[in-house]
Amino acid sequence: MLNYIWAGLIISSLVFALVTDARDLAQDTYRNGQALPVVVAFPEGYDPGARRQGVEVRVDGMAVAELYETDAVPTAQYAGVLLQTQDGQQLQFAKDVSLPEPLATIRSVTSRRNNDLRGRVELAAAPGESLAEAAVVFTPVRFIKMSAISQAAFDFAETAVTIILGLIGALALWLGLLRIAEKAGLINLIVRIVQPIIRPLFPEIPKDHPALGMIVLNLSANVLGLGNAATPLGIKAMEELQTLNPVKDTATNPMVMLLALNTASVQIVPPLLLVAIMGLQVNQLFFSIIIVTTASAVVAVIAARFLGRLKGYRDSDPNRTAPSAPATP
Amino acid sequence: MDTVRNLIDILSVFVLPTVIIGFPLYGLYKRVPVYEEFVEGAKEGFTVAVTIIPYLVAILFAIGMFRASGALEFLVDGARPILTLVGIPPEVIPMGIVRPLTGSGSAAIVVDMINQYGEDSLIVKMAATMFGSTETTFYVIAVYFGAVNVKKTRHAVPAGLIADFFAMILAVYVVRLLFG
Repeated sequence: MLNYIWAGLIISSLVFALVTDARDLAQDTYRNGQALPVVVAFPEGYDPGARRQGVEVRVDGMAVAELYETDAVPTAQYAGVLLQTQDGQQLQFAKDVSLPEPLATIRSVTSRRNNDLRGRVELAAAPGESLAEAAVVFTPVRFIKMSAISQAAFDFAETAVTIILGLIGALALWLGLLRIAEKAGLINLIVRIVQPIIRPLFPEIPKDHPALGMIVLNLSANVLGLGNAATPLGIKAMEELQTLNPVKDTATNPMVMLLALNTASVQIVPPLLLVAIMGLQVNQLFFSIIIVTTASAVVAVIAARFLGRLKGYRDSDPNRTAPSAPATP
Repeated sequence: MDTVRNLIDILSVFVLPTVIIGFPLYGLYKRVPVYEEFVEGAKEGFTVAVTIIPYLVAILFAIGMFRASGALEFLVDGARPILTLVGIPPEVIPMGIVRPLTGSGSAAIVVDMINQYGEDSLIVKMAATMFGSTETTFYVIAVYFGAVNVKKTRHAVPAGLIADFFAMILAVYVVRLLFG
């Protein structure tokens, strides 16, 4: 299933990027090569000899709407610079000004690093004049989505590693603590106490196995909203379950059950991120979250158990494909 | 309700220190060489984390591309007629679809919705309930299975998605019932 979802994500992003870009090309959404009329103001008068002079650019909302056939945008004035280059005059809008669409998109694509909108400009100005009509032609914009998806691929690959680097510390801390707890016999104690409650969900785990203890710790951390403890404990529980797995690259039923319980995320404390976003308003949602999360956990358990009995998933069960081969140490 | 809430808050504050201090103390009592064992266990942290990297990169970059391509909006538009039929307001549909894919993306949706509809609106409560009651399914699957190098996840994805879908619909009804 994951193979298809993964391939589906990649293929559909390619298809949608192509379709969007093709549509932009066909409709010429960004009016490549066409001029936008603006009014340029020279606070100190126009100096044809200057290589670089500060200007104010007045962008008429009506002109923008007319050229790009969008809804009317407010008329606004931006600081900018007029540059004398070898290929003629260039108008540069100041960095990070708030531009209306589609100018903002054109800027984000053509000047990703500097975030300043630039374009070739034709001036109708005489020396010393303080106001002049002008026509700006921006750098052509093509294949926005195609470059966006490849950019996103690299950005998110980097994000993945950043997330994992942040996890190393918590993981090391918990694995260390759990090792002490194991050696001290604490895990066995927990297993003996919670076994009657938790084992019906994981019938495949042998009696008194430490995996049960790790699962309980993981679930309790989830319930109390201890996100940075829940993940390391869950990983440790997965490792314990893996020792029982005869086919190392395939998930066993208890693994799927643990995952189902974790993705349904039984928790009575709202996640920190939600508290950060909503503040005290979260308190109102206390009960709705508990009801939904508990019910969805029940659904997750039923789904995991029921799907495991379907023929396809049953046949791929590691404990059935290699029934008489217990994990060799 | 407030006392229950306070009790749970206090409990969740004290659990961590109790465990972090309690485990080594109990170890000492049982005559375990606590420092040596801690270091021995913690050693594994780095290798496990590194094992997860390829799995998480695979999942996250695919989701990132999907989001950047604009396919998400199309998916939302496609799901709209079916989901409005079962009484889901169209405004919360993006939340339901993005939630299993990305945590940061769905948090951004909650923020946008608060700015657009106000904190007290019913649809924001629905979206926030969805956010609070489910997890980023694909992230959890990548991390947990990645840690033990399991590639064939069998019915983990469908089971997780069924629970997510159920939570989305239930969140709408429960919020309507409690606040509507």
